[in-house]
Amino acid sequence: MNEDEMRELERKSRAAFDASVEAGDAATGSRLAQARAAALTELRHRGLGRATAWLPAGAAAAAIVAAFLWQREEAGMPAAQDPAAYEDLDIVAGGEDFDLLGEDADFVAWAAEQVPDGVG
Amino acid sequence: MEDEPVIRSATLDGPLSLGRPGAAREETLDRERALDRFLAGIARRAHRIASIALRDRTEAEDAVQDAMIRLVRHYAQRPEDQWRPLFYRILRNRITDLQRRAGVRRAVMAFWSGGTADEPARDPLEDVADARGRPDETLEGEELLARIEAVLATLSRRQREAFLFRNFEGLDVAQAALAMGCSEGSVKTHYFRAMQALHGALGEWQP
Repeated sequence: MNEDEMRELERKSRAAFDASVEAGDAATGSRLAQARAAALTELRHRGLGRATAWLPAGAAAAAIVAAFLWQREEAGMPAAQDPAAYEDLDIVAGGEDFDLLGEDADFVAWAAEQVPDGVG
Repeated sequence: MEDEPVIRSATLDGPLSLGRPGAAREETLDRERALDRFLAGIARRAHRIASIALRDRTEAEDAVQDAMIRLVRHYAQRPEDQWRPLFYRILRNRITDLQRRAGVRRAVMAFWSGGTADEPARDPLEDVADARGRPDETLEGEELLARIEAVLATLSRRQREAFLFRNFEGLDVAQAALAMGCSEGSVKTHYFRAMQALHGALGEWQP
């Protein structure tokens, strides 16, 4: 496959895809519009202060983990040697967005770099 | 008119407006309008891409709705130019989840029916109308897309994703890499292999 053939195949396949999107049925379009409205309704109810929404849950989870670790030491069991155990505690206590942490770390790092100058 | 004082936060949550009642509400409304435009513009394309990946239009609707909600819930405050790769990252993860669940369902069904989950699937290319009866014509429109979808179903997940994101959605290499969670070099390799496979399967009908 030479360069010209590749470009032509790219162009034709993209055009076919675009045409199929344009020809989408009204019922699907309506359901997607409803989905969009449902998502935006959530924004309306929650506002933009989502970071604080996790704080109570994060604090409660941190307390449970801390209590578990304390009991473990009180019972004479060896303390967790793995630093990851404490990193987990930090994450929970930090009230971070759990879904965000589910994404890959490199992606999170990239997103952090995209913050425009003047913020932070 | 003098600008209202604005304190920039040290987080990714964006600026915090102080000293003006209703400023937060206005900010939310602005974001809501921007998100509405973004989601309206991306919904049909995302649904079509999810349909091709999942080969199920209903599951594709669920995946897109879930991606919309997650984007709004967790990333509304991010700069707008991040929304598209973020949205496709979420959608891709949702598609992967659904595919895994479908695999488990197949395994359970196979167990109860006495078969195996590893039984070879039907070749998707067999389900596509054959254009060989018209050798002087090239594939166009729906026929070409049906053939492409059938070929995509035979590719690896990574190759399929690279093609869907790069060609159909038009993400650049960097955005596709972020949406797929891999390196840019990997995107280029998978995309080229997908194009080779498509060319091999469709080549005789191309000009």
